[in-house]
Amino acid sequence: MNSANNTDSLHPLEIQVLRELGKDPQPLSDLQLANHTELAPSQISMAVGWLLTKQLVSLSSETTTTYVSLTTVGTQYHQPGSSPLEWILREAGDAVPSGQLLTVKDLQAKGKFHPSELSRAIGILKKEGVLQMGAGGMLEITSKASETERNLRSLLDQIHKGPRPLDSFASDHQALLRLYAVKRGNTQEPFRIDDYTERTYVLTAEGRNLLPHLREGAAQEISQLTPELLKDGSWRNVSFRKYSINLRPPRLAVGKRHSYREFLDTVKYKLTSMGFQEMRGELIETEFWDMDALFMPQFHPARAIHDVYFVKNPKMAKKIPEPFHSQVGQVHRDGGTSGSKGWKYEYDSERAKRLVLRSQGTAVSARTLAQNPPIPSKFFSIARCFRYDNVDATHATDFFQVEGIVLGSDINFRTLLGLLQLFATEMAQAKEIRFFPAYFPFTEPSVELHVRHPKLGWMELGGAGLFRSEVTVPLGVTVPVIAWGLGLDRMAMVALGIQDIRDLFTSDLEAVRNMRRQF
Amino acid sequence: MPTISLFQKDLCQLVGRTASMSDIEQWMPYVKGEVKDVLQDTGEVRVELQDTNRPDLWCVEGIARQIRSVLNKGMPPYTFFSDKRGAKRRIQVAQGMEAVRPYVAACVSLGYAMTAEGLDQCIQTQEKLADAFGRKRETVSIGLYRYSSISFPVTYGLVKPDEIRFTPLGFDEKMTPQEILTVHPKGLEYGSILAGCDRLPLLWDSDGQVLSFPPIINSRELGEVRLGDTDLFVEVTGTDLSMVVLALNIFACNLADRGAAIESVDITYPYETEFGKSVKTPLSMNQSQRISLEAIEQALGMSLGSEVIQEALASYGYQVKATRQSVSVTLPAFRNDFMHVMDVAEDVAITRGYDSFSPIMPQTFTVGSLSLEEQTSDRIRDLLVGFGFQEIFSNIMASHQELVDKMRIADTDYGRLVEVDNVMSQTYACLRPSILPCLLRVEALSPRAFYPHLLFEVGETAQLDLEANMGSRTTLSIAAISANSGANFSEIHSYLDLLMYYMVWPYELEPVTHPSFLEGRVGRIRCQGHAVGYIGEFHPEVLEAWQIDMPTSGFEFEIRKPEA
Repeated sequence: MNSANNTDSLHPLEIQVLRELGKDPQPLSDLQLANHTELAPSQISMAVGWLLTKQLVSLSSETTTTYVSLTTVGTQYHQPGSSPLEWILREAGDAVPSGQLLTVKDLQAKGKFHPSELSRAIGILKKEGVLQMGAGGMLEITSKASETERNLRSLLDQIHKGPRPLDSFASDHQALLRLYAVKRGNTQEPFRIDDYTERTYVLTAEGRNLLPHLREGAAQEISQLTPELLKDGSWRNVSFRKYSINLRPPRLAVGKRHSYREFLDTVKYKLTSMGFQEMRGELIETEFWDMDALFMPQFHPARAIHDVYFVKNPKMAKKIPEPFHSQVGQVHRDGGTSGSKGWKYEYDSERAKRLVLRSQGTAVSARTLAQNPPIPSKFFSIARCFRYDNVDATHATDFFQVEGIVLGSDINFRTLLGLLQLFATEMAQAKEIRFFPAYFPFTEPSVELHVRHPKLGWMELGGAGLFRSEVTVPLGVTVPVIAWGLGLDRMAMVALGIQDIRDLFTSDLEAVRNMRRQF
Repeated sequence: MPTISLFQKDLCQLVGRTASMSDIEQWMPYVKGEVKDVLQDTGEVRVELQDTNRPDLWCVEGIARQIRSVLNKGMPPYTFFSDKRGAKRRIQVAQGMEAVRPYVAACVSLGYAMTAEGLDQCIQTQEKLADAFGRKRETVSIGLYRYSSISFPVTYGLVKPDEIRFTPLGFDEKMTPQEILTVHPKGLEYGSILAGCDRLPLLWDSDGQVLSFPPIINSRELGEVRLGDTDLFVEVTGTDLSMVVLALNIFACNLADRGAAIESVDITYPYETEFGKSVKTPLSMNQSQRISLEAIEQALGMSLGSEVIQEALASYGYQVKATRQSVSVTLPAFRNDFMHVMDVAEDVAITRGYDSFSPIMPQTFTVGSLSLEEQTSDRIRDLLVGFGFQEIFSNIMASHQELVDKMRIADTDYGRLVEVDNVMSQTYACLRPSILPCLLRVEALSPRAFYPHLLFEVGETAQLDLEANMGSRTTLSIAAISANSGANFSEIHSYLDLLMYYMVWPYELEPVTHPSFLEGRVGRIRCQGHAVGYIGEFHPEVLEAWQIDMPTSGFEFEIRKPEA
């Protein structure tokens, strides 16, 4: 390190501390430094902190002493006759001449001390035999003097002069001090016991070498340009202290988008830029839209793929819109007009009304199909979905599915592959892709898209297919429809440096603030 | 999705080719399979099968059969389906079965000496078919027996629960069906299928020996197949005749693939079935289907031509007959998944390989857009981020304790919410009606995070609304809190005021009492005549319940759709 530069960037406080330590070969404590330089303790601690970081000063010793001091309550008690013990004895004594002895309740009613404080004091006095509980709970004073009261008074007097080390007291006094010291849960105590660590410092070799180079008249230097300096032009006559520009800057609390949501924002902007229109749905769905309309038979093991949460109250929707309810039922029974043989079972129209937490984003697509969508059109949704799964590092209780549909008379298997290829380049910057046969209850043919992501290697990016006629025809759609879904959570997790899927929705503010997209 | 275990060597033998693991990976698309795991030392391979409509693929024989067919460009039909001779053995179904478990199918497998691998695979297939396809034995269950010990005809009939005793598999002593239901592990596991039956199904032979008590357990004497047994009797019982027959067909083909000669069994019913009163099984149920080549070509986006399509389908195992105008196809008897011509189109694509279809970009022009809700959300998010607020993103499911109890709104109208019926964890038992609890949870967990804390979330909430068709409404809300030593009503009000100014949403605050907030420091937010939310200083009891030591104030309101 260049010494000259180093002295230029020293703060005037640092210079004063360095000089002081340089005068005396003995280590100096914070307190000594403060006394010698006449700086405030906070200024000393700031300057010493900087100097330690710069390794110009080093820690010489560290001793921890336990001190007792008075609290504001203690200062009050220090007024003669003001401690609870003194007050009780005086009140009880004052009552004797009138013949109207006091009860504990009477003392409480005076409201001077908290009931728990009173009962502790009365307990001590009774134990010492200073106070007796007579008939009817009347408090009677005996001729004995209270030793605790005497000790407490002496301690209040001693400590009132200034904090004292705890171990300078006899052990029975120490116990009394601890009893009457501020604790968690009771802040209304006269004493406070604190650990105070005294640290002493010496110059390092580098600090010592700097001594001859320290500037004189550091006071002429200023650290902050002010409006006044600018207004009267006096900035021309001062020099500005140089900063150590490599020190970490102070931290800021700022506003920021959530990084996972920001990731999903880029997904939605990508999709709109590709001509997709956003659709939205309800968190709570009927089995009809969540499954039946997607040609998932009410009995089939395919339904076990989507283990769902059911709603407790109400359990059923009031109605399913017609003609969709009967047309979907028909397609399940015998294929209806879809050109299919159907599942050939007795479709339960009531069960269709059962309410579930939406288990797949495709439910939103099904509702869109039933709303007479324009042809051609492209839709997407980023839908919150729920699965009946044990929550762990790879399963979240609710999560997002990015899904959508494409309707058009030119839609076929090859345009489906074309769309997936587009997704591969737009969503994952992938140049290499592969298609695999897949199975979804609502599409045929069905495809799985695997891509080689530049950072993640080969990964499954999504699943898609042409909606079965059994899905489209009962909902009134006569053109072919692509149904697609993208699995982006893994990409998001790697981009955000997260290993556990639950951390996408963490409630730890530091983690949320520290999260950032790395690609 | 079933996952099965198979052995590389066994698979190769059944396919009829030697193959490395990477060859096997290449074959997987033909069966929609994925190799999940390979154990190098034993050669065991775990394969996940995607297609829930193809139970024939949930076994090594079926996987091998499909691959073999594609590699050999077709497969000869199994002759036992077209055996015209009468069957030598018979099962007589007794009166009354129609009300309990109406259907049975059976066959005999001769001349294949059971190997260890064969037996393992048989048991696995039996389990997968009965469990995933047969809905845990409810609609289909399967039994295998040593054929040589059985005297035909066999009777499939009903007995009183304590009428008969036999030794079930897994036990040494004779038991009545009733005892099996109450004591035997399988009885306990599957007994509910027979709940409410005062007489129980049983299979017994002409000597009175019990074969099994379907769908619960086989007899130990006849129903314990051992290594080296050469002749087997296979039966399937159930409640859906097509499913029962399909399961038997799959089993028969599997044994035939391992070298057994399959012989039929006649089933005689005292009642009508969809295949008549006398049914010879195994039975090919598939009718030939006229398919439109145009529909297939249109779906695949490619003019493949009749010959190419025929060749592809024959390769995949279909029987194909072409006339000048049309093509008729029949699915092999071990499949029953034809519903629509698109199913055939997909098989053409799979046989030819998905990579053989060149992708085309969809050419149609469409305009992309975000919903109004999303656009509004984004504007609010931008403003609040600019105000210095950190965005939070929470799960929508939460606990009743967090959403209601800690908010001091138990037993009030504010505490009504959508709850889950089949709760898995109390932590996620409800849908949030409000976002503020999610923000308070962050505050409660983050006392050590650098202050001040200004947090917000824009997101969906669920409102219980018994008037609505689905008993609830999904609403979009904005919630924000400020937690710092100086947090109070006027600070958070400043932020709300600024937000409302920039959103051009004139609003009023109306004094109100809300248990979550300090009396006199809470207001109801009214916007364009609607009560949309609340703003206030959180009640110290709320903060105590969350164990928050920092004064906290906040607001939340529903973002309403603009009225048309």
